[in-house]
Amino acid sequence: MAVELDHVTYSYNVNDAYRVDAIKDLSLHIEEGTFVALVGHNGSGKSTLAKLLNGLLLPTSGEVKIFGNSTLDVDKIYDIRKSVGMVFQNPDNQMIASIVEDDIAFGPENLGIERSEIERRVEWALSKVGMLDYRKNTPFKMSGGQKQRLAIAGVLAILPKILVLDESTAMLDPKGRSEVLKVAHELNKQDGITVIHITHFMEEALNADRLIVLDNGKIAFDDTPEEVFKRYDELKAIKLTVPWETQLAISLKKVGIDVGEGIVKDEELTDRICQLL
Amino acid sequence: MRDISFGQYYPVNSVIHNIDARIKILVTLLFMVTVFFIVSYTAFAFMFFLLTVSILISQVPYKTVLKSIKGILVLLIFTALLNIFFTSSGNALITTKLLVITDQGINFAIKMALRFTLLVLGSSLLTLTTTPTELTDALEYLLKPLKLIKIPVHDLAIIMSIALRFIPGLVEETDKIMMAQKARGANLDSGNLFKKIKAMLPVLIPLFVSAFRRADELADALDARCYNASPTRTKLKVFKVKAGDIFVFVGFAIVMTAIMLDKYYVGSFVTAPDLNGFDVSGLDIFIYNILYRVGR
Repeated sequence: MAVELDHVTYSYNVNDAYRVDAIKDLSLHIEEGTFVALVGHNGSGKSTLAKLLNGLLLPTSGEVKIFGNSTLDVDKIYDIRKSVGMVFQNPDNQMIASIVEDDIAFGPENLGIERSEIERRVEWALSKVGMLDYRKNTPFKMSGGQKQRLAIAGVLAILPKILVLDESTAMLDPKGRSEVLKVAHELNKQDGITVIHITHFMEEALNADRLIVLDNGKIAFDDTPEEVFKRYDELKAIKLTVPWETQLAISLKKVGIDVGEGIVKDEELTDRICQLL
Repeated sequence: MRDISFGQYYPVNSVIHNIDARIKILVTLLFMVTVFFIVSYTAFAFMFFLLTVSILISQVPYKTVLKSIKGILVLLIFTALLNIFFTSSGNALITTKLLVITDQGINFAIKMALRFTLLVLGSSLLTLTTTPTELTDALEYLLKPLKLIKIPVHDLAIIMSIALRFIPGLVEETDKIMMAQKARGANLDSGNLFKKIKAMLPVLIPLFVSAFRRADELADALDARCYNASPTRTKLKVFKVKAGDIFVFVGFAIVMTAIMLDKYYVGSFVTAPDLNGFDVSGLDIFIYNILYRVGR
């Protein structure tokens, strides 16, 4: 099991009298090789959950295990961080060096890996995200999508088994978002990396194997995206919207035109409507 | 606000860019020390010549290098004025009730301004031709002995590299906040100095808040990439001293010796001719004597 959360609670102590439970008694298992989309509106606890996964935050109660190692185990913390690569929201705040290859090399350098191996990893990581040509460049003038792909390459260089994208698409334009998602899906398919993609864009969950919806520190839904999207009204109650194709199919059903359930892609919708005609 | 060229790497491939960063730092340090030992105008002229040649070789446009002076222009003028007004030795040129301006004061002010200019130009040539990573790696290497007395050299190097890396980001942020506050009707450009400083407050507070937020996120990113995981950190780039690097170092050592000789040797065996108090020292005297004879 790649990720195991066992009755995890995490509370931010604002002060002694007032505390906020961001994650409440949450249990979750994620198998190796799955692409999980984790969706929730602001304040649902999704970023807290991400930081619990590599021990940046430690659970107030309960236990987080990555490949059997608990994040509470001080000796194992770097093993955990090696297997959980995390990419954050703002690409500008994750780069340490001003030259692309130096930045990618930062992770393996920290691990004390041999120079020739670092060079290999830098090359591999950059080619994985399609940025090999930018090796000697400086990231200042790049687009958000390019910078975020570099951030992914930066964590790939430590050869993680799990890639956590903590709202990594939130600051990007649609083009950048699709670039990053494409890279994440390729890494999942070709290299068998477990991807946990945290986002508040419901449509980004479309191609995931599993969609977990978080509300108020608890799991509200946990199923395939198609199954979750069917429960359109319940999602609306926790301030989440479903892709418009699905919404249209549901509205059509209400007026008596049944195009079938679980529609998430626009070709699918077009096909069904054509069939009915 | 955008033109902060100091510390910004200028990416071209030149001989100067390719000198080992450690040598470049050492030479720059020696250069800075040397600048304070210059006494004669001849030596100043020589140093400016040397610097100009270096800049030409580095292929960094002269304009870009000169921009770094713009930042300290006020300081430059201010110190020059202080030197003029508060030097009382030498022959008085202008005497009023409040202050005396002497020839030595003026000389001192000119030389100090020249020194400052050399310092800033020299150090910005270093940062313009060396990537921040090379710079911090080299500093880390040079400061290695400090590890013996438990100074966290590597952490300091990382702090420096991050500071350099975030300068453009913070400048951009300041611009954005200023525009946002102007859009809300803030008046940042008019009024006297104190009013202007006070008006900057709504810019500075959000800037600080955002800097702390950035620092927080960056700390998480450093941790996520296993910062401090291994006591034996490795490097992607290794330093190798080339023949050219040694040549540069030895070459500068000779220049430094010449400057020292000018101050301590040349100046001591020739006496300055009377130039109505105009200060000449070291090699200047020779040149003056030659020009004087040619003139006659």
